[in-house]
Amino acid sequence: MGTYVVRRLLTTIPLLLVITAIIFTMLQFTPGDPMDAYIPPDQVISVQQREIIRTELGLDQPKPVQYLRWLGKAAQGDLGYRIKNGEPVTSEIARRLPPTLMLMGLGMTLGVALGVFFGVLAAVKRYTALDNGLTFLAFLGISTPAFLAGLIGMYVFALKLQWFPAGGYQTPGDGSVLDTLSHLILPASILSVTYIAVLMRYTRSSVLDVVFQDYVRTASAKGVPHTRVISKHVLRNALIPVVTVIGANVANLIGGAVFLESIFSWPGTGQLYLDAIDSRDYPMIMGTTLVLATVILLANLITDVLYGAIDPRIRYS
Amino acid sequence: MIKRSVLALTLALTTLGTASADKVITGAFDQGPGGAPQQFNPLTNTAGFTWLNKYYSTLVLYDAGFKKISGDLASSWVVGDGGKKYTFILQSGVKWHDGKPFTSKDVKFSLELANNPDSGSAFAAKFGNIRSIQTPNTRTVVVTLSKPNAALLDALTSFMILPQHELSKIPARELRTSTWWRTEPVGTGPFMWSRHVPDQYVELKANPNYYKGKPKVDRLVNRYFKEQAAAVLALKSGNIDFTYLTLDDTKTFSGSSVSILSGPSQVANYLGFNNASDQFKDIRVRQAMLHAIDRNTIIKQLYGGGAELAYCPVTNSRYVPKSVNKYAYDPAKARQLLQAAGWNSSQNIEVITYYTDQLSKDVLVTLQQMFAQVGLKITPRFLDTPTYNQVTNGTAFQMVYAGIGNGPDPDTLYPSLHSDFMPPNGTNRMRVNLPAVNKLFEQGQETAAVAARTKAYQNVCSLVNEQLPWATLWTAKRFGGATKDLVNFVWTPAPGGGRYDDQAHLWDIK
Repeated sequence: MGTYVVRRLLTTIPLLLVITAIIFTMLQFTPGDPMDAYIPPDQVISVQQREIIRTELGLDQPKPVQYLRWLGKAAQGDLGYRIKNGEPVTSEIARRLPPTLMLMGLGMTLGVALGVFFGVLAAVKRYTALDNGLTFLAFLGISTPAFLAGLIGMYVFALKLQWFPAGGYQTPGDGSVLDTLSHLILPASILSVTYIAVLMRYTRSSVLDVVFQDYVRTASAKGVPHTRVISKHVLRNALIPVVTVIGANVANLIGGAVFLESIFSWPGTGQLYLDAIDSRDYPMIMGTTLVLATVILLANLITDVLYGAIDPRIRYS
Repeated sequence: MIKRSVLALTLALTTLGTASADKVITGAFDQGPGGAPQQFNPLTNTAGFTWLNKYYSTLVLYDAGFKKISGDLASSWVVGDGGKKYTFILQSGVKWHDGKPFTSKDVKFSLELANNPDSGSAFAAKFGNIRSIQTPNTRTVVVTLSKPNAALLDALTSFMILPQHELSKIPARELRTSTWWRTEPVGTGPFMWSRHVPDQYVELKANPNYYKGKPKVDRLVNRYFKEQAAAVLALKSGNIDFTYLTLDDTKTFSGSSVSILSGPSQVANYLGFNNASDQFKDIRVRQAMLHAIDRNTIIKQLYGGGAELAYCPVTNSRYVPKSVNKYAYDPAKARQLLQAAGWNSSQNIEVITYYTDQLSKDVLVTLQQMFAQVGLKITPRFLDTPTYNQVTNGTAFQMVYAGIGNGPDPDTLYPSLHSDFMPPNGTNRMRVNLPAVNKLFEQGQETAAVAARTKAYQNVCSLVNEQLPWATLWTAKRFGGATKDLVNFVWTPAPGGGRYDDQAHLWDIK
């Protein structure tokens, strides 16, 4: 198992290299260069001034040199400076990652807990009104984009009911843990909606697959109480494929977070990423890509390891 | 035990009492077209002045109606030597936020910094003809120009004066991205820097030594929103006291606790022709385009009446002669002009724009339909700003739909219409090359006499209206929303947020 993890960790390195190289190449094909984003359209700037800034940003170098330079520094933990304001990319990401992880963490926890719960409920009560109702809600949840769900959620819960603040991470001047939590609940709940819906569908079908297996019928025939059959025999086996879905959806979770962070003015990496793309801030785009790709790869690794932990049949060889 | 709890409770209540006694105005001051969120360097900023002027000051400033320039840090000034020598007398007793006295040395330092290419300043183009700056005493600054510049005062209204004792410590080249601007800036304005929570908000506190008197509110908070819709919702739910609004937003506030503020944007929307392209060489084609647009209907239906017709890029009515050609809606004439010009109606024109809001999309679709009726095919293409800039820095484009910020002084248009400023040297992206217009802009700078200046810019307006390097369409209104609890709140929409006397030290909240 240990060797497996190390091997997997080692394979992420070439993967990350490929990902960053692809993103860097794609950036070169994106119209508009950082200078055009950096200098507002109505700002008159002399050719000399433009050159000074270009050299300072290292944009005067050939593209492969730019990439290799970035790579060399990145390997040493230096992701360069943000073009927009000269702030080190690493410190920006370090500041922005905790809010995103917090948002994703709560969103995922809610998603897994409620998704599995409703999924089991729907399977157990299959073909009843409850099952149909839950299925309908699940499809609604899957098909509602995070952007729309965010705006509706904010309109209903922040504006109409006034249960939560309308966006932001902290109330200016407050900043207590409780205050941050009150800002977190709404976006995290909305982020969990798709997750709940997806997991509910998977759990439901997975439970239904298992429920008709011989060993379940045997257990029931032996007189094992129904709840015990579900928890011990059905769930344990039904959840194995669900774990894969949890891991595979981390990337989607990040996608959802990007939109929700914008709507809720949540200062996470998602918002940072959009901002960086808007302003063609190459170092920032590259840095965020690297970090988010690492998060996704790690999440997948954890999923695979967990998979083995709950299914003893899996052998890492 | 009980005693201690009571004590704790009393203490808590007292703190609560003091906290709520604090008068705070929270706004999204950097939302909308006048904002520059989290850009705090006034040397490189071309927007965000609404916020910057809360803690920095300028030598002179406009009134809220943008009619007259009066003094701020300068109490008076004299223009001599045929418009080449400006002598400013500074306010006495002004102190920087850290208590150090403000002197003429600071003004000299700031102007020199603006002219140093290493600082990356946006003002170099405006202050380039400053030959020398003298400071005969602590309250006098004498600026000598190499040639007269009647637009200098206008440029100075958005130029923040910076502290020499702080910034001379940082090399000019490092100033551009220095952390000083966002961690410890020192100004002379009514409010002083208190704290900055990156990506969240900036908080300023009242400057007790402000030379016009201590502000009425204790704190001013500028909150950041990535989405305009989120800022509007925050205003609706009472989380903030002020933000920019779109025309559509204003309709959703009826009967609420929010007052809608409005004013002319001072931005002229236009259809710009790539003057370097052969396609539009024939003036009849350009004229046909204007005749093909039913501008009154667009203003009425799409802008809800919130826009005014504009006939040339100059929007200040003082400089618009009555006799300009109105290019009334006349599709028959448009067809006739196109026919006379031999226009091939199967060719398609791509119109690019950096506007991505719904209103602009509606405008372009409407233009597409109106043009189709006279045999002109256009395809709108929506670009983000960097792409737009890159495309228009080159010559491989046909037409644009854009806006030009005018300000009260038409000299602002100089770099967009003078042939010296074609890219890469500046922002004359439409490659306008009209020697007569060049000369008039130069005249406008060199003549200080009001009547002569007015005449020069009126002539610019007439010429551009006649030659149509641009087809100027209209000037839209812009809107802000402020809670009715705000007292003495002055806000005027202006390009870049403008620099006008908003009397922030008198702002109050009920």
